[in-house]
Amino acid sequence: MSPKSAGLAKKMGHTDVRVFLAGIPAWKKAGKSVTASEKFVQTGNIVLVDLRSKEEYEAGHIPKAHNIPMASLAAKEDSLPIKAPVVVYANTFLEAQQGYNLMKKWGVKTGSIWPGGVKSWTDKGNKLATGPTPASISWTRKLGKNEVSLAEFKKAMDDGANQLILDVRTSDEVKDGILKNSKHIPLDEIEKRVGELPKGKEMLIHCSTGARAEMAKAALDKAGIKSRVLIADVECEQGKCEITD
Amino acid sequence: MHNKPLRRWIPFLLITGLLAGGPSLSGSPAFAADPAPQAAAQDANAFTGKITGKSNKAKTISVEVKGKNEFLKFDDTTKGLEHAVEGEAAIVKFELRGADRFATSVEPKLATLPEGVAEMKTDELAKLIAMGPAEGNYVLVDSRPAARYHEGHIPTAISLPDTVHVETGDAYLPGDARLKKTTLIFYCGGFT
Repeated sequence: MSPKSAGLAKKMGHTDVRVFLAGIPAWKKAGKSVTASEKFVQTGNIVLVDLRSKEEYEAGHIPKAHNIPMASLAAKEDSLPIKAPVVVYANTFLEAQQGYNLMKKWGVKTGSIWPGGVKSWTDKGNKLATGPTPASISWTRKLGKNEVSLAEFKKAMDDGANQLILDVRTSDEVKDGILKNSKHIPLDEIEKRVGELPKGKEMLIHCSTGARAEMAKAALDKAGIKSRVLIADVECEQGKCEITD
Repeated sequence: MHNKPLRRWIPFLLITGLLAGGPSLSGSPAFAADPAPQAAAQDANAFTGKITGKSNKAKTISVEVKGKNEFLKFDDTTKGLEHAVEGEAAIVKFELRGADRFATSVEPKLATLPEGVAEMKTDELAKLIAMGPAEGNYVLVDSRPAARYHEGHIPTAISLPDTVHVETGDAYLPGDARLKKTTLIFYCGGFT
């Protein structure tokens, strides 16, 4: 917490101490961009986008970067995975910011800028790569520590020996279809009904996106029941359900 | 049916009373975000803590209180739902309806600043950043966990998570900042 740190600094004799209380959310809301660290560009599970021209890119770019020249960015909306953290760079901060703003509008969740482009990259002792851009952008989300993979989840739909699927959608949603080997308890009843869950089985929790499943996991944790969460879209219609990553 | 409005008001009045009579926040300068008044409020049908989730479909909010998630239902009469934003600190007042906790209002929990520390607003910060740390004579410090810093921080910020700060003091600050004449600006992930 920043006020705590500010108090500490004050205690240590710093005279001019301020707190930007509104913090990162307000900064982003005001249309301002955030910057990524060198380490994040080097090792993060990111999509790195070089907004410069094809010629500049091929002559030397940050390794892993994809080339989408600023002029053609607007047409590339569908080629960017919006769940990926996207880091952009250009020759100037202003250009990078234009790209960043556009991607934010598309719904990219964690966008950021690598400030200073290739120059600050090499200034810090990093090497550049050369040659043409990869044919397509691929990005795989890494599973969080409380998350079950879609493959494992699907297996549990066929074999419920050690795992049970817990569906926390509303009763209305369930009318359109429910997954195999699953038990339905709406999120708002979880706390009261945890006792109904079988002991000794791991619960794999799902809803329609993953948001409510995460909330339900907290309730199961509280009750000491082992569980993981499926972060995926579950859509049911006329008794048939489709799960997409 | 008749006494419902009264039931709704009792918790509210209790809280107001507790807050008004609660300990002064200016009492402890270094760690002014004192949990004592909040703890008092927890008992009086209000949760103060980080919003950890909100589902419009299930009409449920979860709030992290003392490391545990508490669930509350909400409906169209719940006030201030726009403040139920995941990750933000809030005060959620509720009433009991049968066995269920119903949120009656959600308010942002504003952090209290230590004595002698002033708030900085977005515009002022933006102006300084446009000048850069040297010309603006500032050091901007990101107090969040390092991983958060790496994925996206306010331009020119350095990373000094509050937990590290407590252990190391200002050893991690740049030399000129340690001379204590530089404006030190701290921020984190919102009003927490």
